[in-house]
Amino acid sequence: MRALDKLWHALDERLELDPIVEFVAHKVVPRHRHSWAYYFGGLTMFFLFVQIATGILLLLYYRPTAEAAFESVQFIVTRVPFGWLVRSVHSWSANLMILSAFAHMFSVYFMGSYAKPRELTWWSGFALLGLAMGFGFSGYLLPWNTLSYFATQVGTDMVSKVPFAGAWLLKFLRGGSEVTGATLTRFFGFHVAVLPMLTAVLLAGHLAFIQRQGMHVPSSLEEEAKRRKPIRFVPNFMLREGVVWLLGLAALAALAAFFPWELGTKADPFASAPAGIKPEWYFLFMFETLKLLPAHLFGIEGELLGLGAFAAGGLVWFLVPVLDRGRPGGGRGRAFFVLGWLVLAYIVGFTFASFAGVFK
Amino acid sequence: MRAANETPAVSRRTALNWLLGTSLGATLVAALYPVFRFVIPPRVAEAPVNRVLAGKLSQLPDNSGKIFRFGSKPAILIRTPTGEVRAFSAVCTHLNCTVQYRPDFQHIWCACHNGQYDLQGKNISGPPPKPLEAYKVDIAGDDVYVTRGA
Amino acid sequence: MTRQLANATLAILLAAGARAAAPPAAAAPVRAVKDACLTCHAKLSDERLRKPAELASADIHQTQGISCAGCHGGNPAADDPTVAMDPRKGFVGKFTPQAIPEMCGSCHSNAAYMLRYAPNIPTDQLSQYRTSKHGLALAKGATDVAVCSSCHGAHGVRPPSDARSPVYPTRIVDTCARCHADVALMSRYGIKGNEVAEYKKSVHYAALVEKNDLSAPTCKSCHGAHGATPPGVSSVANVCGTCHVSQLERFDQSPHKDAFAALEQPACEACHSNHAIGHPQDSWIGVADKQVCGACHSAGDAGAVAAGAISGALAKATAAETAARARVGKVKRAGMLMDAADVKLEDAHQAYIMATVEIHTVAVARVEKQTEVALAATAAADKDAAAAEAEIRYRRTGLFVSLIVIAVAMVTLALKVRSMER
Repeated sequence: MRALDKLWHALDERLELDPIVEFVAHKVVPRHRHSWAYYFGGLTMFFLFVQIATGILLLLYYRPTAEAAFESVQFIVTRVPFGWLVRSVHSWSANLMILSAFAHMFSVYFMGSYAKPRELTWWSGFALLGLAMGFGFSGYLLPWNTLSYFATQVGTDMVSKVPFAGAWLLKFLRGGSEVTGATLTRFFGFHVAVLPMLTAVLLAGHLAFIQRQGMHVPSSLEEEAKRRKPIRFVPNFMLREGVVWLLGLAALAALAAFFPWELGTKADPFASAPAGIKPEWYFLFMFETLKLLPAHLFGIEGELLGLGAFAAGGLVWFLVPVLDRGRPGGGRGRAFFVLGWLVLAYIVGFTFASFAGVFK
Repeated sequence: MRAANETPAVSRRTALNWLLGTSLGATLVAALYPVFRFVIPPRVAEAPVNRVLAGKLSQLPDNSGKIFRFGSKPAILIRTPTGEVRAFSAVCTHLNCTVQYRPDFQHIWCACHNGQYDLQGKNISGPPPKPLEAYKVDIAGDDVYVTRGA
Repeated sequence: MTRQLANATLAILLAAGARAAAPPAAAAPVRAVKDACLTCHAKLSDERLRKPAELASADIHQTQGISCAGCHGGNPAADDPTVAMDPRKGFVGKFTPQAIPEMCGSCHSNAAYMLRYAPNIPTDQLSQYRTSKHGLALAKGATDVAVCSSCHGAHGVRPPSDARSPVYPTRIVDTCARCHADVALMSRYGIKGNEVAEYKKSVHYAALVEKNDLSAPTCKSCHGAHGATPPGVSSVANVCGTCHVSQLERFDQSPHKDAFAALEQPACEACHSNHAIGHPQDSWIGVADKQVCGACHSAGDAGAVAAGAISGALAKATAAETAARARVGKVKRAGMLMDAADVKLEDAHQAYIMATVEIHTVAVARVEKQTEVALAATAAADKDAAAAEAEIRYRRTGLFVSLIVIAVAMVTLALKVRSMER
């Protein structure tokens, strides 16, 4: 103990750690009937940590070439001790991370936490979700199996619909005009270098903003939050969050055990596409919507119109902190509250309907 | 002396702390054990690639053949009567039987339907519709390596 | 069949002319410096007369310097049509069916002549043709039978190795069908006319069009090309045996060989049919309805007992292999390494195929010897799959234990938080 004290003193002397200790000791989390919503950000981060750890482990054996990618993943899941577990956890954790990020986003949205002064937090969070989906999309191709190959072909094909820059974007993403080994190498680069770097920067910002501004309490809950004693961050909230993290870990273990992620068959660029190609579930609502659109609508290609609508919708969602002027009596705009529920119902509805085979 | 002062609440707290420490430790072990196992490569230290050591040159006399495996698929290494070494897929193009080298015919033969392939893997008699896929052969000293096209 | 139109008197006249038009074997064919035939015919408005000139450029004979006059005679150097197409100079306009084989054969049967152009092609087409059903009928005066040009085309003849030739492997079936699918025409010769349609249901046709296997048998592979004729009862087996050597070898060892001969049953055809040769099924074997052995054997006799035993052995091997494949495939998709099991399944498959070859001996023991090998290999693969399933269960158990550990940690942590906050 004395050695630790000494070390602390030595560091404190040089780095002046007192203000940080002071800050941590006084950091609190408001307590009200919707306090549960505060745990999702941390849970998302837990899954991110799992992703980083298992991702680094997979890098020890993975080979990003068309010739060896499938074989190396096969090698990992069949020959490397616990390789099946690491790979399965990486796949499941990716999905749970996005699920948890969505939960985080919607809880923040409905509590109106995006409003001034927290616009930057909303925007960085929005970008982080986009990056997470980018991780999912690029990572899906890496095992180089039939499903991922064709899903990537369909997915990248969509960008070719972008006006003016479409052809360029397609070439940029695919590293050529077709999905080939060049695409795999690129996606690998995005997945392990570009996206992690951007994520690290944005996440640092996202967390720093929260520390500066503290937790937001919606106006409707202010009364209750004032009445009740806030939760001290250290150690109480941390331990509570620990329970949630353990729950996440348990979910991962259970999913890996009972639904091991399948490897599929090696991609064959010359084979015809198998029936029922679907992207990852978090792209399903967009995928199914685009499929529902007629080939031409008002003289414009239906798919282009759909992509335009998604872009516009995304922009509105992104700009909510600016667009929502709030109500005179305090609180967020009624219209945006309704919009949130509509968007949630649309995403959840389409995703479940797709799984239920409604669109077949 | 502490034991004398212990109230039920205190002892419960001690038990809780003990249980907490143990279970968290066990969780950590459960999470880290696979990681430690994972980082040590298995005995077959490399992902199977498109190249295998098919055999020893010294054990392959002229006018003979040898079956080896590419993953789960059989392949055939042959040495022609003139001493050349060649390799082909050993999966007959007719009904996927495994072909063999027939020293008496001096070419490759499939026992199932009497399909025959010449020393270049070309189908020359019987039902096989296509030639056998040819592989690249590299000889390093006594070792014969066979590489499958990507 | 368009060629039947020639009127009889003209036919006699022209047949005589055709002989005269045959190029003398010794004379080297000279590429006519000027070929009035082509220049004039290319300008004619009557398509029937213009077409030959248009097709000529693609004709193998033209490219070798044998132009219109090589077959039709006359004088290609003359501009005046009456001089150029003077029947007294050996000109023949339209050949009768009877004249065509002789005309073609005048060069193609001449070994010394052919040697100068195509040393590798045979020169026995005409003599073969004379033995064919087509040639025999032609000799009897029939005009509605196939002659050289019926299959090879008259103008624009291409070598059979050219994919555009009507006798190229993928096209020859439809070429034969031009007459042989004509039920009215075929009925005159006692032929059903459904043979091509039947053939198109066969594994042979599937191999030809689906796998583009040019070595797959077409009409001519069994019936002969120039000597086209149905193989006789005693030679059917030899026809099939040119490719299916192992099966014929087994059949020749079997008691069926003599029995079929005594009954005048064609060997392979009796069970496999002739044109519509389908993929053999285990279910064919037996004496019940739609089973092939029932034609001669009836329930209770030795043949029926053997058939039952053989079909039972095959069914057992097939069922075991299907089940093992499904089981191995399932654990494979679950991420287990099943290379060893795959190898065993391949062995099983090979033994099964050998068993289907051994069927032709009709010796139960020989079939069973192979199915036993197949069953043993399948059982070994199945054992591998079982071991892999056990490993999956073991993993689940391990993870279940970790789950309990995590759950205990979670609950105690929750209790700890509660006790802290009280």
